[in-house]
Amino acid sequence: MSTSAEGTRAESSSGLSRFLKSSIQQVFVFAALILIYIFFMFAAPNFAEPKIALDIVQQAAYIGVMALGATFIIATGGIDLSVGTGMTLVAVMAGVFLSGDWMNLPLGAGLVLILLVGAVMGLLNGLNISVLGLPPFIATLAMMMVARGLALVISGKATISIANQGYVWLANGEIIPGLKNASLIFILMAIVAGVLLNKTLLGRYAIAIGSNEEATRLSGVNVKFWKTMVYVTAGVFMALGAILYSARFGFVQPAEGVGFELNVIAAVVIGGTSLSGGRANIIGTVVGALIMETLKKGLQMMGIAQEWQLVVTGIVVLIAVFVDIVRRKRASAV
Amino acid sequence: MTKLLELKNVSKTFPGVKALQNVQLDLHAGEVLGLCGENGAGKSTLMKILTGIYTPDPGAEIWLQGTKVDVRDVNHARELGLSIIHQELNMVPDLTVAQNLYLGRPGSSKGGFVNDKDLNKMAGDLFDRLGMDINPKSYIRDLSVARQQMVEIARALDFDSKILVMDEPTAALTLQETDALFGMIRDFVTPETGLIYISHRMPEIEEITDRVTVLRDGEYVGTVVTDDVEMREIISMMVGREVSGEARPRTTVESDEVLLKVEGLNTKHLLRDISFEVRKGEVLGFAGLMGAGRTEVARAVFGADPKQSGDTYLHGQKVNIRTAADAVRNGIGYLSEDRKTFGLLLEQDIKQNAVMAAMKDFNIGGFILDGKIKTVGQEMSDRLRVKTPSVNQLLGKLSGGNQQKVVIAKWLVRNCDVLIFDEPTRGIDVGAKEEIYELIEQLSGQGKAIIVISSELPEVLRVSHRIAVMANGRITGFLDNADADQENIMELATVGKTQVVDGAVA
Amino acid sequence: MRMMRSTLALGAVLALGLTACGTSTPAETEAPAPADTTTAAAPVEETTPADETAPAEETTPADEGETTDGDVPQGNGETIYLVSKGFQHRFWQAVKEGAEQAGEEFNYKIEFVGPQAETQVTEQLNMLQTALDTKPAAIGLAALDSSAATPLLDQIAAADIPLIAFDSGVDTDHPLTTVSTDNAAAAGEAAKHMVELVGNEGTVGLVCHDEVSVTGKQRCTGFQDWMKENAPEINVLTPQVAGEVGLAADTAKSMIQANPDMVGIYGTNEAAASGVIQGASETGADIVVVGFDSGKTQLEAIRDGRQAGAVTQAPVLMGYETVVAAIKAINGQELPKVIDSGYQWYDASNMDDEEIAGNLYE
Repeated sequence: MSTSAEGTRAESSSGLSRFLKSSIQQVFVFAALILIYIFFMFAAPNFAEPKIALDIVQQAAYIGVMALGATFIIATGGIDLSVGTGMTLVAVMAGVFLSGDWMNLPLGAGLVLILLVGAVMGLLNGLNISVLGLPPFIATLAMMMVARGLALVISGKATISIANQGYVWLANGEIIPGLKNASLIFILMAIVAGVLLNKTLLGRYAIAIGSNEEATRLSGVNVKFWKTMVYVTAGVFMALGAILYSARFGFVQPAEGVGFELNVIAAVVIGGTSLSGGRANIIGTVVGALIMETLKKGLQMMGIAQEWQLVVTGIVVLIAVFVDIVRRKRASAV
Repeated sequence: MTKLLELKNVSKTFPGVKALQNVQLDLHAGEVLGLCGENGAGKSTLMKILTGIYTPDPGAEIWLQGTKVDVRDVNHARELGLSIIHQELNMVPDLTVAQNLYLGRPGSSKGGFVNDKDLNKMAGDLFDRLGMDINPKSYIRDLSVARQQMVEIARALDFDSKILVMDEPTAALTLQETDALFGMIRDFVTPETGLIYISHRMPEIEEITDRVTVLRDGEYVGTVVTDDVEMREIISMMVGREVSGEARPRTTVESDEVLLKVEGLNTKHLLRDISFEVRKGEVLGFAGLMGAGRTEVARAVFGADPKQSGDTYLHGQKVNIRTAADAVRNGIGYLSEDRKTFGLLLEQDIKQNAVMAAMKDFNIGGFILDGKIKTVGQEMSDRLRVKTPSVNQLLGKLSGGNQQKVVIAKWLVRNCDVLIFDEPTRGIDVGAKEEIYELIEQLSGQGKAIIVISSELPEVLRVSHRIAVMANGRITGFLDNADADQENIMELATVGKTQVVDGAVA
Repeated sequence: MRMMRSTLALGAVLALGLTACGTSTPAETEAPAPADTTTAAAPVEETTPADETAPAEETTPADEGETTDGDVPQGNGETIYLVSKGFQHRFWQAVKEGAEQAGEEFNYKIEFVGPQAETQVTEQLNMLQTALDTKPAAIGLAALDSSAATPLLDQIAAADIPLIAFDSGVDTDHPLTTVSTDNAAAAGEAAKHMVELVGNEGTVGLVCHDEVSVTGKQRCTGFQDWMKENAPEINVLTPQVAGEVGLAADTAKSMIQANPDMVGIYGTNEAAASGVIQGASETGADIVVVGFDSGKTQLEAIRDGRQAGAVTQAPVLMGYETVVAAIKAINGQELPKVIDSGYQWYDASNMDDEEIAGNLYE
């Protein structure tokens, strides 16, 4: 009991130090990104060129956008294993809506429907979890399988090409010269996610649910509704990721996406969002996705085999989470 | 009497905080020493130093039977015969009693294999020796908190402890169980052993201790012989001011308007035919033994648990409350007995917790009004005198009393007409208790209907205008404060099951 | 409450079901397309010898295959069980078509199965076990991991069921023959065309789709080996593994950016090649892209000049030959150790030729 009072006195510090304390995780991951980047500037040929930085943002975009959505789910203490194959299913549906061989819808209508498909998949996850009471791991595991199967069934196991120029432009065009639209969308969505998390009921309740679901329920919050909304939101972000991925190539391969969910979760976790819920960090997620992509890019440019890239990425995830745990232990030991 | 234990000049500094400053304490062989102080006074820290969990600042001295020792860690403390039973029980719910007793202890396994038969036998022998009636094969999750506590005690005694520390051991015990615990304590204390007893409950301190040492704000205040002083004096030492003894509410109910009426409430398992009403400005106390169904009534009325039948009326209108969200919408607030599990977001700050039940007033189109939250949080924090440097403080870092104030703030911000307080002062120190009582008084003065559930009879008598007494899932009687005393409440609370069913009390 | 739950659950199921029904129709209408090509598959072998240097020439069973067809005894509807590496990919669909064609011709029932992904080794072993349990007349296996399959292959031998390996070899003596594309030679063919296109200088990269299966390895090493022997001036980078379009694109991009003298990249399957094309175009560099297999994106890229060309196998023939070999084995006829099902180089100039188009799938 005495520790609480001690804590009270310890906290009577200035607002500045409190700010530093609360954002130390951001500072840490950001510093890690810079260090990794500087390392590759020396280690990998041509890595120092500025266009590489732009490439990293572009290539991180689809995983990054999906990780933004997953941040909300993980904030509630949940998890989404269906984001990888779900992305593929949404991309296949994008092909169905927009491909000349299929429905050939106008771009605007197609985009609305694509986002809707993502939202519906999120809704199903959300209902399974909050209404039927399935554990998120199981509910989204099932969805992962369903999505993979449906992607193959709907596409007839064949590549679907989306020749729609406007669609391809969404990822590869440059509204701001030099900056691919995919990167721009990633940045814009990060801002949207930051606002959603920090400034809206959705984000506030997501964190409250992750922090103490029962207390939140007893505060009169409709936990089932808000949890479902969190999954719907993540579903929309997933659909955006699917758009970025498929628009980059102008075609969809229905067998892809397996394992992407782990990259998404890794990005969120490196960014300092706690898997046990109650803590979330949008800037961290963005930087987490960039760290993963920087590692991949740098190791590729060094000509290191992909097997080793996986090993290094795994170690980075371990270090990131470990440092976070040490830091938090130290903070709570006071 | 020889000095079994002597602590001298103990200080403990956490980064930025002086938790203990030059504290002393001595324990005689064969005695029970009470250790009192408000929350944050440093009792737990001192005991954690004694039992090797914390290392004291240099200069501290621990003398055991005249020998200076240096307690290195928890296992070393056990070797020295120092054991502690913590306030929060350290048990694995999914293992049996015997498995818990010997978990992690040398000799409990051979070559990596655990022989449950041996463990059960050892545990059985131990319980026989201690006169406890516990089945070693029961799972901890199936035991009541009191019986889990007994297992903890048995474990501590099994270490051949010379000095046993108990930190708030009765927090979850019924009266009979407390009596049984005291029996065990008396058995434990021999001319070779001593016991340090930490409690907020003055009657227990009075009954079981020989001497009492009081700490305040990390400093040593003094030690008194229990029989020589009134408990009030000890409380005064703890809080640094005088506290009155038998207190009663200072307000009366002005209005006849019934604000909350519950009729014929039944639940599947426990509650039978619960009917009561609370008037505007009235505090209705719920007394009864553990398991009588008081918390269940609160949770059913609040919609936190399903009910089988029963109607709720607010301001004379029938309302349909099926979920907590329904209750909150209708202006009912519930302050749970278990703040940490049901009431608070420990990782969130004061202002966010304060507005948690009223977020509908703090957003426009889903966008949160942080400025307003901060203003209102600050206002509430000031009004309820939450001791904190700022409203940005995380709840996990506040003391129990201050946490409770934030929970109250939560329902004040929501502007509820009906407030249900379940054990409002559990785990809160004596000084802060009176503050909570005054708050309840103020709130009833503002015309709110208030229900207070409490296991502490003085507390029920202190705040309630009327008292409903429960036993075995039924209300066995209502008492006006003027007519009520501890004796007649206990009489109604201990009505046997058959009597209740026969309606003998009515 | 309970009512609401079940309604919602029902809704969820319905929604999923409807999506499936509503959109699967176009897939089915598209399906017959490759079926039309099956008839054109048989003559493939005759065109293979067009490449003088191709070692395949000697082993090409073309004439042999055509002439022996008449000797293949008719069956009585016995089952031949083929365990492939997958079913979702068009390649395997084409193999299946060839197999079923042979089954129909000689009156055998064909069971064609395969795991969801080419990484699911255990799943394939389960299928092989099932095949064994049904005691078919013969078993064909395209092993994902030949050493992992050995114990089961022993059981198959013990049960006296003839075993034919197809697509890739098995490291034991059990199979009576192996019907496969000589992937190493095919990869060499891709290397040869790469050198023809870029000249004998510069840096060339490989994006390999898989480094675990025998096929995957051969497609990588065959290219490297040919380069080492025939074009030593070309700097061949360490192969990078990327089985997905996105990863392949990023990998190709990184390769090009790290090596300014990059002149060409070889992708070992559709996903790898398609990814390489996108990666190269994002860097803006002028890179010769050579692929393997076909598929819509590669065909389109070859047609519009973004990709130079690719090597294709003859999957329909592979399926056909596998079944024929199985039937011969059932009847105790002698089989050669290896039956090559052929490969071809194709580019914009010859891809619409009838003999080649039959082995290309979208």
